[in-house]
Amino acid sequence: MNKLMRHTEVVDAIPAGSTIAIGGSSLSRKPMSLVRALAARGAGDFRLIVDVGGPEVDLLLGTHKVSRVVYAFVGFEIMGLAPNFRRAREQQTAEFEEWTEFTVMAGLDATVKSVPFLPTHAGLGTDVLTVNPSFRLFEDPIGGETLVAVPALKPDFALVHVNLADPFGNGVILGDGHVDVLCAKAARHTILSAERIVSPEELQRYGRDVQIHRIHVDGVVEAAWGAHFTGCAPYYRADLAHVQEYLAAARTPATWEAYCSRYVTDVPADYILAVGGPEELVGKLEV
Amino acid sequence: MDYSVDELMITAMARELAGEVMVSSVTSLGALSAYLAKRTHAPELAVLSTPESGMEVTPMPTLTLGQFMTDAQQGIPLTMEDIFDAIFLDRFRIWINPAQIDRFGNVNITAIGPWASPRVAMVGSRGIPEDTSHLSAILYYVTNHSPRTVVERVDFRSGAGYGSERDRLLGQRGAPTRLVTNLGVFDFRGPDHSLSVVSLHPGVSREQVQEATAFPLSFAAEVYETPVPSESDLAIIRASDPLEVRKLEFLGGREAAERLVQIYERERQAMRAALWQNRGRFR
Repeated sequence: MNKLMRHTEVVDAIPAGSTIAIGGSSLSRKPMSLVRALAARGAGDFRLIVDVGGPEVDLLLGTHKVSRVVYAFVGFEIMGLAPNFRRAREQQTAEFEEWTEFTVMAGLDATVKSVPFLPTHAGLGTDVLTVNPSFRLFEDPIGGETLVAVPALKPDFALVHVNLADPFGNGVILGDGHVDVLCAKAARHTILSAERIVSPEELQRYGRDVQIHRIHVDGVVEAAWGAHFTGCAPYYRADLAHVQEYLAAARTPATWEAYCSRYVTDVPADYILAVGGPEELVGKLEV
Repeated sequence: MDYSVDELMITAMARELAGEVMVSSVTSLGALSAYLAKRTHAPELAVLSTPESGMEVTPMPTLTLGQFMTDAQQGIPLTMEDIFDAIFLDRFRIWINPAQIDRFGNVNITAIGPWASPRVAMVGSRGIPEDTSHLSAILYYVTNHSPRTVVERVDFRSGAGYGSERDRLLGQRGAPTRLVTNLGVFDFRGPDHSLSVVSLHPGVSREQVQEATAFPLSFAAEVYETPVPSESDLAIIRASDPLEVRKLEFLGGREAAERLVQIYERERQAMRAALWQNRGRFR
């Protein structure tokens, strides 16, 4: 029942070509330490599923680990567009499928509920239906109106970052849960990274905040600052100074190369030191 | 009292909000219009604290990137399911700022150029398709009204305006109702539900707004002047946004990002100070 793993073991457990759902939302609680570990390895060819994506999609695209992305949104909010996502879309170096926020949830939920699709009106009258052949229109057999069939999304893996987890895979999320519970339930294998591993007794004190249940979880990795440079409420905020550094680096191949070797490929174990060390991060990001 | 265009727009946007509905605060102009409406004519509004995570937070939440509540604040936590249920039940309002809006109220935040080989790939439709298929009020704003933003036809329909598909599949549900720009206030009561001028901001002429629009505009029978913010409106807006996050929506991308980083740090210090002042209060 003990599911504690190390980052390297997670990387070894995820085969090239896997479909991976990633939790969090734009600059909030992305499982960045796991994502960096995947970005640092050799083979990728991953098929990503994100609802509101940001740096995780961008970093994996920028390190050529992605063949396909299902997304409702990929961006850095007011900080700017996602540079590697933008490049890959414009130069068509990967495949993309545009969904919407609720339909990604519905697609995951269809898998959870073991049905081939879930119905919705969302998307009618938009070009999402024009460019995304996964959606089908059908006639409601009861009332006769036209609805969208949202096909089941079936991730092989889900990566989710939580505030606290016990070694058995129960996870506490203290801020916004985003779509993380759906990702964890829908994936065949779910890996949590957690700011801190605590005992099951301590975890139970969090009551309803224990949003992720161990029956859906296969591995747990301890990762302090594991969401950096996205935020992990209420522990720390997104590191916007680092976001700026990232966006500036992504402007040219040479600076991007340097960014990746400094923060991703060469020193993944020392990442926290590379971004300033825990004391500096506390001073800068804790509220 | 002197006001600026952001404050005029916020005041015009606030007038469109009423009823016991959730109101998104995902952008600063949207958030401030909700705060203003709640503090004036619509106390019943349930204002979301941040993009998604809670409502009715006191004291007033911060404006940059949201998602952060300190121990000095309390509110009602929400899930994504709560948000989308409110959308599907038409108990939700959001001011959306698209990159392009067209004559019939289609909007685009996805791509400039063809979707499969875009000239500029933007962000993706996010939750706009959900809004434009369910809500009885669809509210848009544009801070830089020009022929590049108010266009004849959007390059990609992230949100459904009027047209034959709407007629066939959706009817009035989720149809665009309002556009507020830096030049005026508009509805979709022109011929075939096309964009039509309701009011022009003080000092803006018909010629000027027509020149800034990529297609021939229609004008309501009586076009009036947009009412300016009162002194108390201005006081509420400025107290709610003392670090002036609202001004960033009028700047270019990189400059806005740089200013935001500075404001973000000042905001953190302000939150720490509030925490210190409120220590013990909610324990």
